[in-house]
Amino acid sequence: MPSTELTDAVSAYCAHRIFQAGPEIYLRGNPYQRPVGFGDLDNVDFTVPLTEDQFLDHRQLVAGRMLTNAYESGMVFLPPEGVGPVLPDFELFYDDEVRRQRDVVRPRLERFVFSFLETSTPKPAVRTLDELEAYFLAEVNAVGSPADQTGNNPAVNTTAPVRGTMRAITECRHAEEAAALHLIQLAPDALIEASAMARNLPGSYGVAQSELFKIFLDEFGYGVYEAKHSTIFKKMLASVGMHTDVHAYWHFYLSGSLVGNNYFNYLAEDRRGVFRYMSAVTYLEWLFAQGFADTGTMLRVVFGDRVDTKYCDEHAHIDIHHGRMAYENLLLGLARTHGEVVIPELVRGVEETKVLMRLGDEDFLAQIRWADSLDEHTRLGAVLATSAVDEGTAVSRAPDDPFTTRVYDTDRLIAVADGEVDVYAWATERPHRLGPGDVLLVPRGRLHGLKAASGQVNYTVREVSRNGPAD
Amino acid sequence: MIDLRRHNTVLVGHERYFLFQTETRWRMVHDRCPHRGGPLSLARRTPDGRRLSCPWHGTKIGVAALCRTALPMVRSGDEATVVLPGTSQDAPVSVIRRRILANLPPDADAETDPTDCNSSTGSAQPH
Ligand code: FES
Repeated sequence: MPSTELTDAVSAYCAHRIFQAGPEIYLRGNPYQRPVGFGDLDNVDFTVPLTEDQFLDHRQLVAGRMLTNAYESGMVFLPPEGVGPVLPDFELFYDDEVRRQRDVVRPRLERFVFSFLETSTPKPAVRTLDELEAYFLAEVNAVGSPADQTGNNPAVNTTAPVRGTMRAITECRHAEEAAALHLIQLAPDALIEASAMARNLPGSYGVAQSELFKIFLDEFGYGVYEAKHSTIFKKMLASVGMHTDVHAYWHFYLSGSLVGNNYFNYLAEDRRGVFRYMSAVTYLEWLFAQGFADTGTMLRVVFGDRVDTKYCDEHAHIDIHHGRMAYENLLLGLARTHGEVVIPELVRGVEETKVLMRLGDEDFLAQIRWADSLDEHTRLGAVLATSAVDEGTAVSRAPDDPFTTRVYDTDRLIAVADGEVDVYAWATERPHRLGPGDVLLVPRGRLHGLKAASGQVNYTVREVSRNGPAD
Repeated sequence: MIDLRRHNTVLVGHERYFLFQTETRWRMVHDRCPHRGGPLSLARRTPDGRRLSCPWHGTKIGVAALCRTALPMVRSGDEATVVLPGTSQDAPVSVIRRRILANLPPDADAETDPTDCNSSTGSAQPH
């Protein structure tokens, strides 16, 4: 398809009102309202796949939103307060024509987003079952989750000091916002938990199918709503005063999180991805046990006793089992049953997951470091104010104008001429306010949304080149 | 009345019980793994025969511990009467069959498994 056709198809798909931004910062009571961007997609080229260097580009963010919409229009969403008030949006979200448009853009956007994995993913020489076993155990060992003496996923250490990203959150000045942003990144998966997994349940594929179903059954709390993992995830959100609507924080999903979450639906969409899916699930289930123990520790450090960490505790417990079950019966089980022909795909699933986790982590860390230091970036912006390389774009906004978040592909300066504007670099009730004369440096790839805080605000967005430390 | 050609499980409210044979006798025990409620009626015995391996996450449940969940049962000839929890004394379940066996693997000795009931779960009302 020539690029104009794809561009037209994307524009037509995104033109529906449910994919257009409204004034809301948090999207509540309407799971069908899923803004993609500012409607500035007419000149965006999605035909040439992104490279890893372009992982943080704006096109990635909007493609991630579109793909999430595409996959989720195959799932059932109903607002807890009843569908009545939003019935037209319900009808539109599942409309035949919208789904036809979705089917046109989806495979092309997948190529655009995921092709880089082919070049970014190492291809370890793993051919036999023994090599696969050794490879997997070495991989989990390398990230600090070694097997115990029985070769199984080890019991978690709930007293381990927080490290890595979890520690970086606790060290933020706005640690609560940073912790909330982390929960927000988990939400696209956690609030519709295991929906990608559900897509891999039908069919006929032997013992592995039953094993996956048992994991799925745990996620769904054995049919008991109170025990369903999304239910306890919502309780965790509510305990720290966060919204629980399925995509309330839609605007605050980072590119890395969207790509990571979409990856599992992408593998489910193309059934040839099943082996990659199974090994990716195995790898994650194995790491989740300690990972969620660490998350629970981080949340207790940040929020104290008021946070309900049952969701984390649940995963720290059950994923010990899931790691073992998936390793034995999905990863090794499939290799035993189908032989060496599938081992490269099983390895690829682990390797691709590693790449996506690394990129997602980098994106998140860069975001919290930037969002935590907007004062500093306002000072930096003032220093750089004369270094802008172009005249920029003048923008004028009123409080009820559409709100959305975006990223820029290069560093930008936002300079307020008159009026005041609130900067949302994370989901916060305490946004960073810029007044007349303020200049904010927005590094490349950093998510932010702007909301007029006075009757009218005028600002310019200008590209800036800078040397020295990024972010 | 439980027809053991079809069922080896009774449902009492939301709780299931199933017939389970030990070396010495058979009992009606709780069909619920203490870990997460997995169906022990679908469990396999460990090679030493002393434990059941839960089909959900593989926890090993001792036969002795399982037998402590057994419901009171009186057997008279081919008929056994079980007192179900939460039901009145005059609503016992009767189980009629000389050999009542459950949770046997499909390849179990046919002579000891005439009912072929191990893979079938269902509910039975007290009569
Ligand atoms: S429910 Fe039996 S092992 Fe988990």
